[in-house]
Amino acid sequence: MVQKASIVGVGCTKFGSVLTDPELKGLTFQEMVAEAAFEAMDDAGITPDEIDAFYVGNMLAHTSQVYSHATLLSDWLGLRFKGGFHFDTACSTTNTGIGIASNSIGSGKYKNVLVVGGEILSSVPENYNQLTRKGIDAQTLWGWTDFGVDHVYAYHHSYDVASAYGAIPTMGYMKKYGLSFEQMDETMYYVNKAVRMHASLNPKAMIRQDLEALARSKGYKDSYEFWKSKHNPFFAWPTRLLSALNTADGASAYVISGEPKKYDKKTPVEVKGFHWTTSNYPWYGTDSTTMPQDVIAFREAYKMAGIQPKDIDYLYVHDCMQIHQLEVSEIAGYFPKGQSWKAFIEGRTTYKGDKPLNTSGGRHGVGHAFEASAGSETYHIVKQMRGEAGKVQFSTKPKIAVQHNHGYGMHTAVTVLERGD
Amino acid sequence: MEFRTAKKFYDNLAKGKIYGIRCRKCKKYTFPPLLRCRECSSESVEWVVMKGTGKLHYYSSTMLPAIKFVGEPPSAYGLVEMSEGPVFLTKINNADISSPDSIAKGNKALPLPVKARVRKIAGMDIVTFDIKK
Repeated sequence: MVQKASIVGVGCTKFGSVLTDPELKGLTFQEMVAEAAFEAMDDAGITPDEIDAFYVGNMLAHTSQVYSHATLLSDWLGLRFKGGFHFDTACSTTNTGIGIASNSIGSGKYKNVLVVGGEILSSVPENYNQLTRKGIDAQTLWGWTDFGVDHVYAYHHSYDVASAYGAIPTMGYMKKYGLSFEQMDETMYYVNKAVRMHASLNPKAMIRQDLEALARSKGYKDSYEFWKSKHNPFFAWPTRLLSALNTADGASAYVISGEPKKYDKKTPVEVKGFHWTTSNYPWYGTDSTTMPQDVIAFREAYKMAGIQPKDIDYLYVHDCMQIHQLEVSEIAGYFPKGQSWKAFIEGRTTYKGDKPLNTSGGRHGVGHAFEASAGSETYHIVKQMRGEAGKVQFSTKPKIAVQHNHGYGMHTAVTVLERGD
Repeated sequence: MEFRTAKKFYDNLAKGKIYGIRCRKCKKYTFPPLLRCRECSSESVEWVVMKGTGKLHYYSSTMLPAIKFVGEPPSAYGLVEMSEGPVFLTKINNADISSPDSIAKGNKALPLPVKARVRKIAGMDIVTFDIKK
């Protein structure tokens, strides 16, 4: 790129529910997004007049009641008359935004770009009024969400996301690497244990109860017995309910600048490389462990950044279904093929481990607010690089981090970030 | 160029014919039919009737069916490698989903040959598969 781009400020709301969470209750979509955006601008030490453009991610207009988001948000964000647009790659959106903003800066058109994502999945406005909202059931929510999947052929052919994105990839892993169901189930227990432990230490996360506390609340002293109990049924065998996402409301934001020395209040994080790939359904062939688009996205992002897998200090992968922590971390080259499952059992992926992965809690623990979630992961990566990650801070601040996201349908975004000090 | 690919596909399903496309350039099949070859993007494709045979590699069943299928009985959803090459995921009519153990046992026996059957599900004719027993 002509001009290097760096993340100079990050913001993120608490993830939870606008119906019940004290931090979110009573906020309109516009206000929730503004909260994240203002935190990012304050964090960068940048004022609205210095922002040249802003890009907004949001998936479900059913719940936000917003189209042409930049237009409707402009004065709420203090960015009236600035350039902006709505963009959408579903659940990878605020990862994709890093590359889009970097391109805008690289071209020389803009110096500072704000990217924000917001999503409300708990509820819809009543009588078109955002101030009175009513809860929605999971099936209605997924009816809208599934517009992210091919509705010409795939959806009508008995489409089932839990099998397609959870069960079949999990069975593929078992088969390819010779794991019994019991070994796989135990591995997924350790994955979720880490997910919930990290979330319990993250004040922005929706889930604040680790797996042990959840087990105790249901009368189990042994969390593995709880894992295998009726309280954790099969969403789609062999994938259990706790291996899936929890939907959430929330917003995230970051400021990307071509002048990181000017906004040096915090350690800047340079955007070293990125790549995006797309594929309609189906996402994999008979080897259900690997989406070819992920292989391409990692390869090309690494090439742009000039890194190799061995250079990666921290990896964050899309874990809407937690099996992808195993599969995508292997595609990323963070673990050898067929080996990551052992790393989860050995505790190597926690914030204390030598191969930290998704240490803010992922889409189950932080909660999944579709187009806000990738930004919350970027937020966490930047905090780790600065040494501001609180209770889950690594002993050594990561120098190179890679963020991977899937966007429903399927979009892949991979971004390589480097600590700029 | 005729763009009404989906209509032609579904209209033929109603007559019991399962169409795909075959690429004249790379010789690969795309199923269901698209406007261009899914493998090499060539526009030079011909409509072909699929054999309707293949192998079932995996199947499972969800506790949260997509909203369109809420009124339908619980269903098995599986990955079929069609004889012509394409992978297709759809309803498997006779796969045992009566319990988690039966899904586990059913998958242990895979891959197994399958035969396509057009069925009207949730108001539309779709391609489903039966495991050959």
